[in-house]
Amino acid sequence: MKKWFAAALLLLAIGYTAYGLSTLSLYTSSGRPAAGFFPLLIGLALIVSCAINLWGDVREWQAERAAGVLHTHQTDPAAEGTAEALGIDTYRLDGRREYGRDVAITFVYLCGFVAILKLVGALPAMIVFMLVFLFTFNRAHPLSNVLYSLALPGFLYLLFKVLLNASLPTGPLGF
Amino acid sequence: MLADIVSNLSLGLSVAASPEGLLFLVIGAFVGMIVGLFPGFGPAAGIAVLIPMTFGLTPTIAIIMLAGIYYGSMYGGTITSILINTPGESATVASTLDGYPLAQKGRAGPALVMQAVASFFGGTIGVILITALAPSLANFAASFGPSEYFLIIAVGLLMLTTMMGDNKFKGFISALIGFAVGTVGVDVMSGQQRYTFGSPEMIGGVYFVAVAIGLFGIGELLHCILNGQHLQPAKRLRISFRDKEFWPTRQDYHESRFTFWRGSAIGFIAGVLPGSGATLGSIIGYSVEKKIAKDPEKFGKGEMRGLVAPEAANNAASAGAMVPLLSLGIPGSGATAVLLGAFLMWGLQPGPMLIVNDPEFVWGLIASMYLGNMILIALSIFAIPLFVKFLDVPYVNVVPVIVLLCVIGAYAINASIVETWILVVSGLIGFAMKKYGYSPAATVLALVLGSMAEETFLQTYIISQGTMNLFWTRPVSLILSLILLTIIAIPVLIAFLRRTKPLKETSDQRGQ
Repeated sequence: MKKWFAAALLLLAIGYTAYGLSTLSLYTSSGRPAAGFFPLLIGLALIVSCAINLWGDVREWQAERAAGVLHTHQTDPAAEGTAEALGIDTYRLDGRREYGRDVAITFVYLCGFVAILKLVGALPAMIVFMLVFLFTFNRAHPLSNVLYSLALPGFLYLLFKVLLNASLPTGPLGF
Repeated sequence: MLADIVSNLSLGLSVAASPEGLLFLVIGAFVGMIVGLFPGFGPAAGIAVLIPMTFGLTPTIAIIMLAGIYYGSMYGGTITSILINTPGESATVASTLDGYPLAQKGRAGPALVMQAVASFFGGTIGVILITALAPSLANFAASFGPSEYFLIIAVGLLMLTTMMGDNKFKGFISALIGFAVGTVGVDVMSGQQRYTFGSPEMIGGVYFVAVAIGLFGIGELLHCILNGQHLQPAKRLRISFRDKEFWPTRQDYHESRFTFWRGSAIGFIAGVLPGSGATLGSIIGYSVEKKIAKDPEKFGKGEMRGLVAPEAANNAASAGAMVPLLSLGIPGSGATAVLLGAFLMWGLQPGPMLIVNDPEFVWGLIASMYLGNMILIALSIFAIPLFVKFLDVPYVNVVPVIVLLCVIGAYAINASIVETWILVVSGLIGFAMKKYGYSPAATVLALVLGSMAEETFLQTYIISQGTMNLFWTRPVSLILSLILLTIIAIPVLIAFLRRTKPLKETSDQRGQ
């Protein structure tokens, strides 16, 4: 995954530079640097450094493969697929077991939480996220999960919305 | 000069010691200690997440509270280093080396008290040095032009990346990513929109708070989950300061009497230098102490000096990092970069003129650090049983709390769902950066300083009519340029020497 992340960075660097070149001017009519000048410098530096970085990561991967020290898979194939789709490494690091599947699940829950935040309102979204997360990773304690999922979002809502008057999204239920 | 310092400090104390100032200082210090306790939620994320909570406060009180979180986390991070061999903060890693063996020997109480005393000592020495140095440095920096500022930013970022060991190059890329993200929005020189894709929400640029919370908060959290932290059972520990064995002996203080000073001095210097910060300061502090000890074999087996040195160092370093922030407006770490962002958000322009234009703010902040260290030593000793109780909470219950704080914090700043999605994306990128050896701190630092870097670079370009000769014709610029070249040249030279040495050895062997 390391080399794919490096490759993604290189692609983004190329896209950043190309988009900047096509939409921004480099110099003003009086010959002074314009809005595109600094982004071009950054973009070129990014492309060169990301290309060298990718080259290094690919060589490292090839060396590992040649030496036969590729990391072994730790999670089930389905989880591996999900993690792969999300761009998350599921391999072992430093000889310890990794929980790539749990990272993928947490990230999906996080996306779900943000997606429903404006639809259902801050408080219900927080409660749903807490319930779903705790009933996935802490199934042994259902009662404490429910109490915790109601109490903590309630406290945070009171703190931010009522005490600090922060602007939180309001849903159809009014909170 | 001493009279100036006394009058400035009394001005600062009138702000910091007000009932409101003290209340939010205690809250900041307390929250900082909790932030330090839990792995995966460092001071940078703690400050970023809690920025929305300061909206109803005056800028000075808000920054006093946020700074309290910053140096309070140094105190809190050591509690877990000593008790469960898990540093809550990267700056307290060195404290595990002797802190945990001390706890295993049944000396957890004395270790916790000595770390609090060492932290107080280091922190206070650091603040005394800020008081003495920050105004002088600000005076000196008042003559700086754009070329000096650009070079200071470049030196700071390069130092941050060169401290990353084998991952220097990835640190450099991380900084470039920060600069690239910083170019989104309206160009300060021409007013033209850049990379906004027609979205009105992007005209103001990518807001650093969402990125910082994502990279430091969500990214760290996902990394902790990857390592299975969420499946670890709660650590049930009991510590009472009423126990006879809780307090250090006279011998502990006597043996460490010079260690306090050495650790503080090393830490402060490390803190002032951009990029090195508290983590490196504490490691150097520990190494120096071990090297000069007559009995180095005792280190790593529960030696009190091995705990005192890194603790004094990391707290002095966190104070030292405030010197370039307050006098130059240049942060040296991820946490101080977030603090700088908070300064800007409150309309404060850090730099040499800050002390002149906002003396109440600067001296209020400095005075609050004296008071904050006093509050923290009291909390660290008398509230230890309470903080230990926090460790009863399993990490699986801590994870959703951090997620809620991050998401609500990112949304509440501008009531923007776009920024909340930026948080999510930054979180995933932060996770990958952490896993593959990139530097989220360099990205945030470059993002915060991006517009200043661009402005000063273009001003230098325009003033020098495209020749950039300001970089070597002005004395301070010349010195900074030489430092910059040295930072770049040394790793290249070392790599070259490492490469040629094996070749020479091979040819020698062939010759034989």
